[in-house]
Amino acid sequence: MSDLANLNAVEVTGVSKIFNEGKANQVDALLDVNLTIAPGEFVSLIGPSGCGKSTLLRLIANLLEPTQGEISVNGKTAAQARLDQDYGMAFQQAGLFDWRTVGKNIELPLELKGWNKKKRAARVAEMLDLVKLQDFGRMYPWQLSGGMQQRVAIARALAAHPPLLLMDEPFGALDEMTREYMQGELLRICAETSTTVVFVTHSIPEAVYLSNRVVVMSPRPGRILQVISVNLGSKRSELTRAADGFFRSITSVREALRGTHAQHVASTAIRGAEDR
Amino acid sequence: MKTLDRIKSIVAPLVFGVVFIALWEGAVKGFELKPYFLAAPSKIMEQFLKNTTRIWEATAVSGGNALVGLVIGTILGVAMSFILSRFRFLSQLVTPLAISLNAIPIFVLVAVLNNMYSITSEIPRRFMVTLVVYFIVLVNVARGLTQVSSIQVELMRSYAASEFAILRKVRVPNAIPYLFTALKVAAPASVITAFVSEYFGGLQNGLGSRITSNIANAKNAAAWAYVLGACLLGLAFYTVSIVLESLTRRGQSK
Repeated sequence: MSDLANLNAVEVTGVSKIFNEGKANQVDALLDVNLTIAPGEFVSLIGPSGCGKSTLLRLIANLLEPTQGEISVNGKTAAQARLDQDYGMAFQQAGLFDWRTVGKNIELPLELKGWNKKKRAARVAEMLDLVKLQDFGRMYPWQLSGGMQQRVAIARALAAHPPLLLMDEPFGALDEMTREYMQGELLRICAETSTTVVFVTHSIPEAVYLSNRVVVMSPRPGRILQVISVNLGSKRSELTRAADGFFRSITSVREALRGTHAQHVASTAIRGAEDR
Repeated sequence: MKTLDRIKSIVAPLVFGVVFIALWEGAVKGFELKPYFLAAPSKIMEQFLKNTTRIWEATAVSGGNALVGLVIGTILGVAMSFILSRFRFLSQLVTPLAISLNAIPIFVLVAVLNNMYSITSEIPRRFMVTLVVYFIVLVNVARGLTQVSSIQVELMRSYAASEFAILRKVRVPNAIPYLFTALKVAAPASVITAFVSEYFGGLQNGLGSRITSNIANAKNAAAWAYVLGACLLGLAFYTVSIVLESLTRRGQSK
């Protein structure tokens, strides 16, 4: 077990998160979440809005502290992993810096790591290659389309070659065509860089197409209801979207989600009745 | 089409200006308005050309006061905005005082300041301009430093960036357009404040004092000639602030 290759990419043990504890606006976001993610795995978090999937992602990123429980990333505490830049992050909005060129945006995490200019330039060129934006390094973010901006954000998240990539609905604002293209690109990039990915999404087909495992979460307080393995092999293409296995997995995720939805509706109905 | 639009945007206001002055001239001549009621543009121009040196001297005095106040006010405003954005509790402490200070009419303060300093001092006027500019710059730059995208701050934290690195790489670049917006407002305001401050006694060497004394002596056309100088000075300040802004913007879209 001490073998480095056996080290889990992410280990979430008994984690609960309560915002504004003890105050009138207390929110129980997560309740007793346990999740282990192996290196190289692609895991999606899916669930109704407000189920705490983004909160779980931010806990792994150490942008939030858990109220209870423990989180380790690469065998370190989440805090240490953040300080070591062991992960990269991408959000629904690309969050690019307007005043920096595309190249300079990708360079930012490397600047903060204290890399010298030559090493940074080489890595930026490599990343631009990776996301197929070779000719756009000198442009400014506003000169790019939404899909291209999101590719820059991914390149920036991966610039320091982190072993883990955390993504919060990164393709949520893109149109369907661009979205499917980006999903293919993300799989290619992750295969080339053997990056572990934790991916928050609203879309069932997206979760199934991308993931090795789909984690289905309940409405607030968020708990893990079911973890569904997707057996579509490691090589996925546009043909995968027409495969039987693809639809079977979509159905199981949908049923798992529908169960939570029915519960949610039932529980709010009961609460409504009690209020009266 | 682009050049045609550009010509339109220059020619149209120019034609409007010429027509406006012609109507003005026509109204004065046609209705035989008395010079002390409204001076004709031709008379104003005559006075302006006759007194160029004196108008220039007065303009230099008022413009100098405005410039000194503008520079000091900007430096102080930027410095204070950094302090306030770093220590939020200070901002809660200072804001009510700042608002009440800003609510005092300029006129009252100038009168008080004139009493504090000798009658031959330019300090009260410069101090007034500094104060006006300071608040405009402080409010805008502080906003630019604090209203940064939450995603960008989260990203920086995910890179384990220090507060100082976030300031240098996110907050300051974000605040720069806010600074130039502030200057675009503060530059004309500094000129206006410099004039208005001259209406409350003290040295009689600036544009504001010259306008008052000419009006007092019923030299309406001469007063208007100084108004023209004031107008040109305000325009000059505004133009410089716009040019500065466009220079930084070009740096972004290169």
